[in-house]
Amino acid sequence: MSQANSHYTKQQSTFVQRFKKNYIGWLFIILSVLGIGLFYFYPMVQAFLLSLQSGMGSNLEYVGLDNYIRLFNDPTFITALTNTILYLLIQVPVMIVLALIFSVLLNDPTLKFRGFFRTAIFLPAVTSLVAYAVIFKYLFGSDGLVNEFLLNFNLISEPLNWLTDPFLAKITIIIAITWRWTGYNMIFYLSALQNVDKSMYEAARIDGASPVQQFFFITIPLLKPIILFTSIVSTIGTLQLFDEVMNITSGGPGNATMTISMYIYNLSFEYTPDFGYAATVSYVILILVVILSFIQFKLGGDRE
Amino acid sequence: MKKIKRIFIYLFLSTAAIVSIFPFLWMIVSMTNKSVDVTRGKLTPGMHFIENLNNLLETTQIGIALWNSFLIAVITTVLTLLIGSLAGYGFEIYRSKGKDMIFNILILSMMIPFAAIMIPLYRLFGRISADAPFIGLDTLAAAFLPTIITAFFIFFFRQNTKMFAKELVEAGRIDGLSELGIFFRIYLPTMKTTYAAAAIIAFMNSWNNYLWPLVVLQSPENQTIPLLISNLGAGYTPDYGVIMTAIVIATLPTALVFFLMQRHFVAGMMGSVKG
Amino acid sequence: MRKNFWLLMIALLTAIVLAACSGGDDGSGNAEEEDNGDDGSQITAWAWDPNFNIAALNLAKEHYDNENFEMEIIENAQDDIVQRLNTGLSSGTMKGMPNIVLIEDQRAQSFLQSYPDAFYAIGDYFNPEDFADYKLAPTSFDGEQYGLPFDTGVTGFFYRTDYLEEAGYTHDDLVNITWSEYVEIAKDVKEQTGQAMLSLDPNDLGILRVMMQTTGTWYTSEDGTIQLEGNEPLQMALENYKELMENDLVKLSSDWSQYLAAFNSGDVASVPAGNWIGPSVEAEESQAGLWRVAPTPRLDMEGAANASNQGGSSFYVLNIDGKEAAAEFLGETFGSNVEFYQDLVQEVGAIGTFKPASEGDAYQFENEFFNGQQVVYDFSQWMEEIPQVDYGMNTYGIEDILSAEIQQYLDGKSLEDVLSDAQTQAENQFK
Repeated sequence: MSQANSHYTKQQSTFVQRFKKNYIGWLFIILSVLGIGLFYFYPMVQAFLLSLQSGMGSNLEYVGLDNYIRLFNDPTFITALTNTILYLLIQVPVMIVLALIFSVLLNDPTLKFRGFFRTAIFLPAVTSLVAYAVIFKYLFGSDGLVNEFLLNFNLISEPLNWLTDPFLAKITIIIAITWRWTGYNMIFYLSALQNVDKSMYEAARIDGASPVQQFFFITIPLLKPIILFTSIVSTIGTLQLFDEVMNITSGGPGNATMTISMYIYNLSFEYTPDFGYAATVSYVILILVVILSFIQFKLGGDRE
Repeated sequence: MKKIKRIFIYLFLSTAAIVSIFPFLWMIVSMTNKSVDVTRGKLTPGMHFIENLNNLLETTQIGIALWNSFLIAVITTVLTLLIGSLAGYGFEIYRSKGKDMIFNILILSMMIPFAAIMIPLYRLFGRISADAPFIGLDTLAAAFLPTIITAFFIFFFRQNTKMFAKELVEAGRIDGLSELGIFFRIYLPTMKTTYAAAAIIAFMNSWNNYLWPLVVLQSPENQTIPLLISNLGAGYTPDYGVIMTAIVIATLPTALVFFLMQRHFVAGMMGSVKG
Repeated sequence: MRKNFWLLMIALLTAIVLAACSGGDDGSGNAEEEDNGDDGSQITAWAWDPNFNIAALNLAKEHYDNENFEMEIIENAQDDIVQRLNTGLSSGTMKGMPNIVLIEDQRAQSFLQSYPDAFYAIGDYFNPEDFADYKLAPTSFDGEQYGLPFDTGVTGFFYRTDYLEEAGYTHDDLVNITWSEYVEIAKDVKEQTGQAMLSLDPNDLGILRVMMQTTGTWYTSEDGTIQLEGNEPLQMALENYKELMENDLVKLSSDWSQYLAAFNSGDVASVPAGNWIGPSVEAEESQAGLWRVAPTPRLDMEGAANASNQGGSSFYVLNIDGKEAAAEFLGETFGSNVEFYQDLVQEVGAIGTFKPASEGDAYQFENEFFNGQQVVYDFSQWMEEIPQVDYGMNTYGIEDILSAEIQQYLDGKSLEDVLSDAQTQAENQFK
């Protein structure tokens, strides 16, 4: 498709046209460039300057790179970082695959009750965080429904401490994020599937391709831009994970579920505020995401 | 064989649906229970809904909060979609090396946690307040301005534009449409599922946004729904029945937006044939 | 296709018009506010909890005889207040900041020291010596009194008379005991009744602070030095904590609602906590007459008192226009009005830290729920015995470090190692 397209443009384009096209292209993006510059980059530069300072509240002084050195001797930061990366490695792939499966199943026009399933699976994303935190704490409490269920089916012999055991609390958080965001990601795939040319599937069916083959050889390659988008966005989301941890475990027990964003929040508002060090920790997220996105872009093969 | 597979699919989807919908149902049940029963995890409906609702209406200004949140969310959604899709389209259709570089830089802005830029941003609005108080601190405009232009939606629309049949652009040019005309008359109607998805997400983000409205909106008449709910849970003896009532009311608008928009997700709907 | 497109365009335009209108509205609303600011007559106050702090402020307003005084009381969650104050004060933009703000005692020093010019010293508007001693250190800084002490977090040992009787204990057996005795009693209760003694959230180390304060010690010394290693009261507190955990005497809760549910549904025999838990205990009407309150157990050390504190907050005045009016209001109500404090106890159920108030009638009230015990009077007496500690700047920061180490302590790491490791980490963090 795109080959035919570029071939076509090459024939058409004269210098004047190219100039005109370019100039109009800038018009399309100028508002965004200015807005993001003002509301994101200007504060980001300020935050960077802040990361070179340290002190309580408004008593800040320049300390150069001290904050960055301090990171390496900060066990809470290291715990937060390893927890966050653990969430990322386990949760993002599981969620993306689940969301893809749901969207493909729900895109089948012969399936009954599609509207119901779609809405039900999306609902967790709109449910208020407060409600969802209260209920997760209740479900996963030591005498909550989850334990009751597992006990009844003899899967465990005594109640598990889902929220107060350091290992299980991490699992609970991963379940919670997956529960909340799978439907959200499904929306992106469902909408993208509508823009896919149906005739390709018909052709494949005539050629005798099984649904699984269709999934791997048509759906996935066609959805590649959106899969790339969701995996980058989910990566960023997980690296900035805050809501679930804050509301379900408050980072505990004993920092076992602490994330980087939660730590930034604590440094700014929970402890005596050290905005300089908090800014330093956020720049670490920035650096991490840049590296990870770069890898994802490379793997996704976006470059032509 | 095929039938067994079907049954398996239904079983799988039903389990997922039940797991997803359960907390939502629990919320609705809890809305009718006393606080003590909510904390005990009572699963059957009670008789306290009217009482909870009355308490909520008496102790909070939920009407004002709903209106503020609604206003902010609608404006945010419309402007976000317009600005984001213009830019996403611009970056992909008029692709050039320079624009690609700018695009990559813009993407960086998604990556820093909001908590880090919040204080500089607040300071910026403090300064804006001096010259233009109508968009300065403690105005609804200040609550949505920084959220309407986001790299997220530019990125989203650009990725979707990659799947848009670009021959249509050339066809539009041959038909004598202006570049902006092509965008509005060809791209926008063709991509309506993409817009529907974006609208759901933008509305939801805005409706649930907490941290920035919290710091920038100080007066009670500018309160939004998440702030109201946060207040409800803040006492030494929170009333969970009332909180659940507020939460259900707060959840309905986003659920409604989803219901309205999701019809666009139906494959091969008549719309695209008839249109 | 075309129809949809135009519909969308109309929606767009409407929204933009709406945006413009709302902008205009806000503008006018804003201008009004600024006018008010210039007069200096409109005072704003931020506090949390409508049934407690907000109600107390409203009551104070009723008791204040000043026609020119207007005050808007704004309800915010405590965490929300902390975020707004930090953002506002650190940006140097005082616009939108309140005149009066309620701050939790354990956070006060971090605000006072982080934003030294932001607060207004109000020591001249009332007599600090009228207040419970333990309230003064957290509310003052650099020799100046900044906070007007409000509610007390004086703790009590709320217990179920039926469970304790079944285990063979009378009220007298529970008065003025030590924490190790408490642990032994807990074992008996478990054995006789099968109930846990208390409910704890492993994320909240409040119980350790309650134990520690009975000896007048804290994580930090008065000059701010971190003292975890070799802190004998803390060691004893941790030993008791581990003993409770290991013998299954604790019902674990993972949040506030579960904590409340534990005693409301009769799953625990006692609640050692601040007096403000009282209304939540009373919320379960079917348990009326089954509860009483004994003094807080002390740590087994010389000089320890059977009184401690958990929570409690005080009012502060920001250094902006209207500060004198705000300080006068606080001084005349919370700072000196004995009658006001009687109403406060009766109508709001809040116990202040103003010592002359405890002789008033309202404090003698016999509470039926607690078997006719004069609960308020008892609390006000215990309050005067609370050992004073300086909470310092880093209580919450140190606790995060400590809570990770406590996990390892429960898993078998030695107490000495736990405290010395926590000490090293805390010293690295809070130089």
